[in-house]
Amino acid sequence: MNRFSLALRLLLRDGRSGELTILVLALIIAVTSSTAISLFADRLHRTMSTQAADFLAADLVITSPALIPEHWLKKAQEYQLKQARTAEFSTVLIENEELLLSGVKAVSQHYPLRGILKTTQSDNYNEQSIKHQGPLAGEAWLDQRVLSALKLQLGDPLIVGEKSLTITQIITYEPDKRGDLYSLSPRVMINDADLEATQVLKPGSHVHYFFQFSGSTEALSQFSHWVKPHLNVSQRLMDIHEDRPELGSALTRAERYLGLSSIVVILIAGVAIAMSTRRYSERHFNATAMLRCLGCKQSEILWLYLCQFIILGIAASAVGSLFGWLAQETLFHLLRELLPSKVAAPSFIAVILGFLTGLFILLGFALPPLLRLKKVSPLRVLRRELEPLPTSAWLVYGLALSLISLLIWQYTQDLKMTLSIIGGGIMASLVAGLILYAFLIQARRILPFVSLSWRIGLQGLLKNPRMTVNQTLAFSITLMAMILSYTVRTDLLDDWKNQLPDQAPNYFVLNVFPDQVDPFKQSLLQQNINSAEFFPVVRGRLVQINHVPVQQIVSKDSQGERATHRDLSLTWSNKLPIDNKTIAGSWNPNAYGQVSIEHKLAKSLKINVGDKLTFTIGSQQQQATVSHIRSVKWDTMKPNFYMVFSPATLASYPTTYITSFYISEENKPVLNTLVKTYPSVTVLEVDAMLKQFKTILTQLTAAINYLLYFALLAGFTVLFAAVNSSLDNRIFEGALMRTLGANRALLRKAHIIEFSFLGLISGMIAVFMSELLLYLIYTYILHLTYHLNGVLCLGVPFISTVCVSLAGFLGVRRVVSKPPMLVLREI
Amino acid sequence: MTQSQLNIIETENLGKTVPTSDGPLSILSSVSLVIKPAESIAIVGASGSGKSTLLSLLAGLDLPTEGFTKIKGKNITTMSEDGRAELRNQLVGFVFQSFQLLPGFTAVENVMLPLELRGDKNPRASATQLLERVGLSHRLTHTPLKLSGGEQQRVALARAFVTEPAILFADEPTGNLDSKTGDHIIDLLFELNQEKQTTLVLVTHDNALAARCQRTIKLEAGKML
Repeated sequence: MNRFSLALRLLLRDGRSGELTILVLALIIAVTSSTAISLFADRLHRTMSTQAADFLAADLVITSPALIPEHWLKKAQEYQLKQARTAEFSTVLIENEELLLSGVKAVSQHYPLRGILKTTQSDNYNEQSIKHQGPLAGEAWLDQRVLSALKLQLGDPLIVGEKSLTITQIITYEPDKRGDLYSLSPRVMINDADLEATQVLKPGSHVHYFFQFSGSTEALSQFSHWVKPHLNVSQRLMDIHEDRPELGSALTRAERYLGLSSIVVILIAGVAIAMSTRRYSERHFNATAMLRCLGCKQSEILWLYLCQFIILGIAASAVGSLFGWLAQETLFHLLRELLPSKVAAPSFIAVILGFLTGLFILLGFALPPLLRLKKVSPLRVLRRELEPLPTSAWLVYGLALSLISLLIWQYTQDLKMTLSIIGGGIMASLVAGLILYAFLIQARRILPFVSLSWRIGLQGLLKNPRMTVNQTLAFSITLMAMILSYTVRTDLLDDWKNQLPDQAPNYFVLNVFPDQVDPFKQSLLQQNINSAEFFPVVRGRLVQINHVPVQQIVSKDSQGERATHRDLSLTWSNKLPIDNKTIAGSWNPNAYGQVSIEHKLAKSLKINVGDKLTFTIGSQQQQATVSHIRSVKWDTMKPNFYMVFSPATLASYPTTYITSFYISEENKPVLNTLVKTYPSVTVLEVDAMLKQFKTILTQLTAAINYLLYFALLAGFTVLFAAVNSSLDNRIFEGALMRTLGANRALLRKAHIIEFSFLGLISGMIAVFMSELLLYLIYTYILHLTYHLNGVLCLGVPFISTVCVSLAGFLGVRRVVSKPPMLVLREI
Repeated sequence: MTQSQLNIIETENLGKTVPTSDGPLSILSSVSLVIKPAESIAIVGASGSGKSTLLSLLAGLDLPTEGFTKIKGKNITTMSEDGRAELRNQLVGFVFQSFQLLPGFTAVENVMLPLELRGDKNPRASATQLLERVGLSHRLTHTPLKLSGGEQQRVALARAFVTEPAILFADEPTGNLDSKTGDHIIDLLFELNQEKQTTLVLVTHDNALAARCQRTIKLEAGKML
């Protein structure tokens, strides 16, 4: 016999009778949301990466101390990638009897591939123009500081090495300002064609080459994949997350929220699928017993039902994938005002993943109730009371748990944290379930003392405590998922808003000498400009860890390796910034030779509290002991430092100061006065970066809001459906009571009491479980501050009570409105 | 051919004891009987005498705690569950007091099901024919919800006979029907039984129905009288 065609026919017959409606609905919602979210997240990620690429001036950059092989460039051409090159080196300029160490950047024809340059030809910062390419051959563009230091003007010649160039522009903004923001060397930008003529670069010269590429995502990925194995120890591919930590951090957090949304919706749908399948399974006990009587083997029973569910899964997943595609297109349409005109195209892989996710969810959550059908005894045809024993919950829900664990692991990228969350979730469920079970057993004692409607209502919950606990936990998990989604979104957005207030600093000032600090502060105050703290800066390089050269410790291509190949900006302070959180150790600014290090760098350099670090500062060596490791919020527009020393340690070294402040558009002429008064300082405009950053956050905020609404909608829909799926027994008993003479008012009251309690208890347990998980997620994954939300603690049980009562009441209303006999016949 | 193989059903010292909170409870004990092919047997007894238990043990729906059952010489007690399922598929039909039709299926789909499980090529034609035989040609596409009790039991009869089983087990087939409808069902049952030469094992507390069978087995307190 063709079992497959029999399964299909059985499926169609069941579908015709309406048995599968809720199940199909739950599955379509699950697949729609997971497809929509994964497609949306993928497209948004690639679009954001493109925008973020502006800060690298390209989509992909290879940095190298020497020219890369020609065939690499030819390979890039094969992939139809646009190319550009910059070369950066330091050289001394001598003009008008003045000396200045400058950072020269030679740029090729297509630079910048991404982003823009800004220049001005006056000393008025308001009169900037946007440039899409660098200086022409024979030209030089300079920092204002170079002009001031060498007493030059626009139009004057500037000799770089052996080459004379004409100064044509003052650079005010460069998208890929390298290393850290606090570089001492003022910028001279020349055309690549003039590089050789300068004769500055000789064999052994210290120069950084940046080979820049842009093109389609696929081409970039293929080229990146090809070139990686060819890179030597001194070459690397640059990455937005590490090379622009302030932007990378925001992107990472947004991507993590998108991942959380996906998990939330899958969890909600999974619970609904489990409940609907349980109902489906119980309603098929009799039919299964009959099939067994007719000669169906146990394995055939399982295969018949499994086959039906796989067919159902494929059909519903296909529909869900289509809806998911439409949903993410709608989301992008809604966001069109905020996003770039060119948005990354949808990826077919994401659709396939959504489709497969649907099948996995279905099998993971539906298999346990289906397995029970295999155990239905044929004797049930004679003994209706015979029910197959439920299999151990641990065993049967292992698949569903594994699926959720896999998703959470993918989201956190941290096995320890995944196990903690899963363990925490299971522990919370067990504790809540046990407490509830004990409460229900004890609550039976009050039944004799309450009125009939209360007795009937409460009896509905108390007669089968195990079933009540299962049902309550199912609702609680659904509510918990919705709470997580809402709370994380709200706090994430609030956190961004606090980090980037409207008047976030848009200018940084570097190289303020110690004797200039007080007068500079005064000058700012006179202009009603509030500056951030003035931080002292000493340039130094980490050379040893515990007396071992760092090169022997760091891993290739790691953040630690990059940090040891250049000078770092070292600072000292009595107190650490408020948003720097202690990871290990304690900060004691009064002790000499103490240093606090940023935790990701510490991890990359394998540094722990108590380790001894040796720095080269100028011609001297300085040792310090790591007494404190902290986290840093890079996505603020304030000066942040990898290393903070106790004040006494570095105070004797040559020092300059850094600060940042906000200047409104109208007040920008103030800068001209400042620069003229203090010609040695470097003023860095981060306005463009800040605006870009804010734009990206606005886009992400809108996207996250829409996803939250989607998750909440899915949650409420599924909650209603889940309540509906649990009503059979109540409907039957209600109809029976009406035949015995119970009036409608009594039944209505009893139902409201029963569902209100169910909703209230579910809400309370949901709050308990979600607060526990939020603490874990906030503290260890999102690095946000956890706080108990009193409004949610009170609001959720209230909303849950109302929603579950409404859903249950609507579901059983036919008990009170239809003739009892009709209802009993239908069951 | 051995005597066992000549008998269609054979039991020896069949018994069923179940554990209860008050200790083991004997529902059936020491039942030894032989049923010949095409014989019609009525199992009678008061409520709680063990009639349905005996039926379930004879049909292989349950396992005894003592003794054994053989169907066509094969010891079904020692068979695997799958083996018993296959045997039921090949040799056995059932009619129940509560009809046991699948609610989402139409009349013809309910009757087709045993043939579909067996892999028959054209189950619909056979099912339609049999439904016509039981007088339900005008109700082929109706679900059980739309059928009266008598009509549902006629569908159940058609389903039981569509595979032309060697043995038909009927458990109180008229228990949920009024006497007039019940009489019609019984007439139909015995007509079909005669046509198909099926061995009929019928559980009933109706003495008049028992009298229509060739032999009666009386049970009292789980023991054969």
